[in-house]
Amino acid sequence: MLVVHYFWILLGLPVVAAGLCVLLRAPWAIFTALIGMAVAETAVGALLVQGVFLGAQESAAWGWFYLDALSAYHLAILLLIYLLSTVYAAGYFRHELAAGLLRPAQIRRFGILWCGALAAMALVIISNNIGAMWIGMEATTLMTAFLICVHRTAASLEAMWKYLLMCSVGVACAFMGTLLAVAAAHGLPLSGSDVLLWTQMRAAATQMNLPLLKLAFLFLLVGYGTKAGLAPMHNWLPDAHSQAPAPVSALFSGFMLNTAFYCILRYVAIIEVATGGSGWSLHLLQVFGLISIVVATAFILFQEDVKRLLAYHSVEHLGIISLGVGLGGIGVFAALFHVFNHSLCKTLAFFSAGRIGQIYGTHAMAHIRGTLKAHPVWGIGLFGSFLALIGVAPFALFMSELQIIFAAMDGRAYVALALFLAGTGAIFIGALKHAMAMAWGEPEHPTPAPAAGITDMILVAGSLSILLAVGLWMPEWYRSLLLRAAHIVEGKL
Amino acid sequence: MGLETLFIFLVLTSLVLLGSSLLHSSIRVVALQGAALSFLPFLVMESSWAGRAVFLAALTMGLKGIVFPILLNRSLREANLRREMEPLVGYSLSLALGIALLILAFWLAGRLHGIGVGISTLSLASAFFMMFIGLFLIIARRKALTQVLGFLVLENGIYAFGLTVVGHIHWLVELGVLLDVFVAVFIMGIAIDHISREFDHINVDQLDQLKG
Repeated sequence: MLVVHYFWILLGLPVVAAGLCVLLRAPWAIFTALIGMAVAETAVGALLVQGVFLGAQESAAWGWFYLDALSAYHLAILLLIYLLSTVYAAGYFRHELAAGLLRPAQIRRFGILWCGALAAMALVIISNNIGAMWIGMEATTLMTAFLICVHRTAASLEAMWKYLLMCSVGVACAFMGTLLAVAAAHGLPLSGSDVLLWTQMRAAATQMNLPLLKLAFLFLLVGYGTKAGLAPMHNWLPDAHSQAPAPVSALFSGFMLNTAFYCILRYVAIIEVATGGSGWSLHLLQVFGLISIVVATAFILFQEDVKRLLAYHSVEHLGIISLGVGLGGIGVFAALFHVFNHSLCKTLAFFSAGRIGQIYGTHAMAHIRGTLKAHPVWGIGLFGSFLALIGVAPFALFMSELQIIFAAMDGRAYVALALFLAGTGAIFIGALKHAMAMAWGEPEHPTPAPAAGITDMILVAGSLSILLAVGLWMPEWYRSLLLRAAHIVEGKL
Repeated sequence: MGLETLFIFLVLTSLVLLGSSLLHSSIRVVALQGAALSFLPFLVMESSWAGRAVFLAALTMGLKGIVFPILLNRSLREANLRREMEPLVGYSLSLALGIALLILAFWLAGRLHGIGVGISTLSLASAFFMMFIGLFLIIARRKALTQVLGFLVLENGIYAFGLTVVGHIHWLVELGVLLDVFVAVFIMGIAIDHISREFDHINVDQLDQLKG
């Protein structure tokens, strides 16, 4: 089969599955369809990325689809997080249905939008056309808005409205940036549709109108940065993440933020080529990264809700990724490594927080005590993912953060280093205190928790052991993939 | 010149929105602005692309001039609302700020003109002005419906900018934007319906439980 077919299947499968969800009534049938689609999608994705992982590039449909090391890496993470979240969602919503918190019709709506979200994110990742990339990003916002209010409460509607409005404005801002970038290419010998292709833009970057291109980047950074949850444009994030059902929060934090950040990375590459590696865009990323880390620190220390706590951790970690890219050199490599580590770890954290929230009937950390005793599997999941999140060795997140510290020392960015260490240090202490209080102690109202299923155990043990394994040993192909992706971001390839 | 008249009209309609408190008249003003915008493709595109211009104009008119007002009026009826109550920024202050934003827009357009965007300062300035007014309405008004209107004005500004600056490059982009705005407004309409069913009014300042 031709490569172009794989691309179309990748986009088409979720659409077909969404259609199937419209027809299906029973929740179990919908979840079977969703899991089947996620498995098939992962298989197709694996076929697509395997060649790229080994060093090739895929391009199809007149160059509209394009997969290089950077996009293949992100696609692989997307599919992994999506598969895990879909499997988890089946278990999570079964408990909600059993408790009478949800009607089958709501499951159906969830299924349709859940498929749509995948199609939209996949479109962003595989598009070489910056217009299609933008359309995918906007579709992500529209598809996921109603996933936040699967449970229709006043608070979830509030979160949904805030998300919808802020991200729509953000993405509109990014569109303005896209237009300016195209305007910056005006006068170059590029034909109509070529000018929208990222590969063409990068090739012609040195001849583009530089002031206009820089202005475009400012709009793009603020626009996509809103969606990526970079402070100070992050206000929607804690609300949306805390109100959405756990599988949705996991997908939001685990990948949707990265989708937006991926778009920024694409433009960083163009700017770096255009300015001849002056690091202009990298400095901006550093600034936004540091602001995010500092803002997140303040909110993490005084947080009372476990899901909001995790949401602010996302602001922190996107800030760390942004800072890493901003430091350049080994920092870009470390930041890209951190993308996977954070995605997997945060997904597990939201899985655990979601189930524990169901068991305790609250997300208020003051009332969550003794999780290790009440439900050992998810208790370990929550505590373990917190340890990994705050950067305990030898989890993979520790390794990537350590490399970011090296990058800061290499680049003599001592102010950034000091802020980074102060922020992550304070978060380490603050979050550890929260995590230990939840893990030990006596449950207030000892309730018989449902026994852990085999999938629960696999999700927790699998994620934690991958995080450990990657932290201890990085395979050679993974290292070279990340290096190539980092070169793309720095405009060297 | 037709183009200049059109842009002055766009600026004036945006200013009117700042001072208007009746929601249904605000909807009408935004509809008028959208309808005016549908003439833009004829004015900026080369005559060899007449077919494309007609198509874009018809789509713009249909969506911004007809479909959106109907959708928004429906939401207005269902939510049983008449006017914007107690805006965060008063109407006369809004107008004064509007003038300041207009000056800012002209200054920015002048700068941008200087770095090589080959179109007139007036078109650039009015596109920026619409964007500013849109953002201002989103921030300074409390009703969810007014915020949607603000979003529409913001999108109108971007659409005007896109057509005048890169309109000749790729029609898929413009088409994408129009469809996108359509879906966005549609979804915001559904969201407002959900919210107004849950709350008595669609006052955004009631949406303030989530903090910290």
